[in-house]
Amino acid sequence: MATVTAAIALSSDITDSNISVSNTSTLFTAGTTTGLDTMTSVTKVLKSTDQVDLITTGSVSTTHAYVYINNPSTDHTEYFTIAIGNAGAGTPTDTEEIGRLYGGDFMWFPWDVDDDICVTPSVSTDMTVEYMVFS
Amino acid sequence: MATTATFTLTSADIAGDPVNVSKTATCTKAGATTDLDQTTGLNRVHLRSTTNKVLLAANAEGNDLSAKVYIINKATDPTLYLTVTINAQTIGKLYAGDWMFIPWSQTDTSADIEVAATNWTASTGDIPVEYALFHEDTDFLTNA
Repeated sequence: MATVTAAIALSSDITDSNISVSNTSTLFTAGTTTGLDTMTSVTKVLKSTDQVDLITTGSVSTTHAYVYINNPSTDHTEYFTIAIGNAGAGTPTDTEEIGRLYGGDFMWFPWDVDDDICVTPSVSTDMTVEYMVFS
Repeated sequence: MATTATFTLTSADIAGDPVNVSKTATCTKAGATTDLDQTTGLNRVHLRSTTNKVLLAANAEGNDLSAKVYIINKATDPTLYLTVTINAQTIGKLYAGDWMFIPWSQTDTSADIEVAATNWTASTGDIPVEYALFHEDTDFLTNA
């Protein structure tokens, strides 16, 4: 099994006393200390503002995964709306919005692989989204 | 005032070649280059509820605004996990040592971020959880 580590360093001077947080986690299968062994890495260019199933439950064979999504745009006004749920075949009727990834933003989270992860570009002019899934 | 988040992912053996990802994001207001200017600071709670508890309460006024949420499970027992949900939609399970960093839209007042120590028992001990919210707008939080 592979060893994969994911680290975050948060730094903020919003408050009078600065906030500085650093943590590193090793990615394991659910409830174990066994490393993960599967990785998917994809870059897509989306050309419409339709919601799409970016990461489907069928693409992962476990019930515990980690997801990284990045909006590499340098335009801060362009964003992806990230949602999770049962989007069906292009019908965004049963999804819960998590948040918006503006240009330059990323997100990292565990995924229980119960529902698809969906994205909706804010513009139709070739928005690039990058994602990785570890399971 | 700036808030930055740096993500680093490394693996020497999950693929034929080493995998290294490094990304730094400066947390800004929605659609702008202006830095976020408010935060809850870093918080720590000890969770023992197997049912959902509100970690961050949503306010629909935040829907079009920017917010970033950091949550980490500080337990050391690898079997202990938090289930993280938004509006009853499960996002995933944070096992011991796992962390998440996500943008948070508040599509309505039901979009609370909730956590549950799903497999907690009296013998497992509490699950320490640390979290922080970085955001904009004074009315962002229900209790602001």
